[in-house]
Amino acid sequence: MTDPKQRITELEAVERAKQGDEAAFETLYQLHKRRVYSLCLRMVSNPSQAEDLAQEAFLQLFRKIGTFRGESAFSTWLHRMTVNVVLMQLRKKALPAVSLEETLESEEEAPRKEFGADDIKLKGSVDRLQLQRAIDRLPPGYKTVFVLHDVEGFEHNEIAQLVGCSVGNSKSQLHKARLKLREYLKFMRAEKAKTG
Amino acid sequence: MNCSDVDRILPEIIDSKARDGAPINDLDFEFQAHLRNCLHCSELVSDLKLIASEARQLSDAEEPSPNVWLRIAAELRSEGLIREPELVSRPVMVRAQRGLWKAFWLAPVAVAILAAGSYFLTHRTTPPAMQKSAKSVDPEPQIQVAEQPAAPPTSTPAAQKSTTPSRNQTPHVRALQAPPDDSEQAKLSAPPATDDQRFLSEVSSRAPTMRATYENELRAVNREIQETREYLRRYPEDMDARQHLLEVYQQKAMLYQIALDRIQ
Repeated sequence: MTDPKQRITELEAVERAKQGDEAAFETLYQLHKRRVYSLCLRMVSNPSQAEDLAQEAFLQLFRKIGTFRGESAFSTWLHRMTVNVVLMQLRKKALPAVSLEETLESEEEAPRKEFGADDIKLKGSVDRLQLQRAIDRLPPGYKTVFVLHDVEGFEHNEIAQLVGCSVGNSKSQLHKARLKLREYLKFMRAEKAKTG
Repeated sequence: MNCSDVDRILPEIIDSKARDGAPINDLDFEFQAHLRNCLHCSELVSDLKLIASEARQLSDAEEPSPNVWLRIAAELRSEGLIREPELVSRPVMVRAQRGLWKAFWLAPVAVAILAAGSYFLTHRTTPPAMQKSAKSVDPEPQIQVAEQPAAPPTSTPAAQKSTTPSRNQTPHVRALQAPPDDSEQAKLSAPPATDDQRFLSEVSSRAPTMRATYENELRAVNREIQETREYLRRYPEDMDARQHLLEVYQQKAMLYQIALDRIQ
């Protein structure tokens, strides 16, 4: 939840930005740049492209700032706009935002199901850098849902609306993404243990 | 419930939230019971929840380069969404109900103020003509007698310079370089300048609701002019301060111009 003091600062900045105040625009940018950029980076895994997308998201927002009435949180508005910008980019590249048909997944994509295997355990700790690398390796469909749900906090019904799939599909994709990440992380941990 | 069942229902149930951790339905009850008895499934669920919670920390972990804002600002300017600062939030001066207020004398005064600043910026010495002009325009004095001279500014980035007068400086300038004495303080607290007072008198007579606004604005800009001039008396070599003084004169000229534009 937004800190109340930050929310007041944000509302004041929005009103001043509507008047064309450059400092107000910059205030809004500084308040939200990390989240917007991080979201873009997680989705496209390319810093340069992520900066372009973040720039476009802020520009779209600022162009429409005159229509913002304060009924919802400004950050929510910006967040959704950013997701739309990124998904539009993915669609332009003909990359599937979400696999609409689970049965079309290749064997390579689907996480392996291992019951009773003597696995290296993740229990208790996950290296954040390894997690970032693992996310980057995810197939586009898994990555989109995972980033939107677990990183950015969208609910499944929101994800379903954003990417055009069912709630059930969103949950399924998320689960497979997490299983895949678990697999990657265990592999990375095993490799690290070997090299010492 | 067995492990296959867990695998099947896990996508639906893993993120189900109960406030106190209690099972939310019968299925969840069986699920929790299985986890208590199955090490593999409990570790799986634990790992997946750990991944989800760690992922949340990544939401604002990265920072874009400074170029992103520069590009955004440039684009906003080109689209006219960023406007140059002006007194847009101030109350608009009300046009006089009877006839037009012909205060065209504001325009040459604004130009004179700007010229005063330009001269001060570009000339180390103050020509005699400028002194006469400065007296008539005189941006320095206070609006209200009660106003006290502010402390000299410390924000200028220029290093403190020697105040030893150069050979090219006239006696007038060398005198200005001396720190203000008590007589100088008295002068600074002298009655307001002719043009500023005339300006405010016109505003009062034609648009009384605007007087306070313009009075505050003039006070602020005159204070800034005074502080910068005091500083420059001690450090006449400071080009940053000279540039700043020119900009403040420009602001004052703009103030006059805005008033002129509003009342025409």
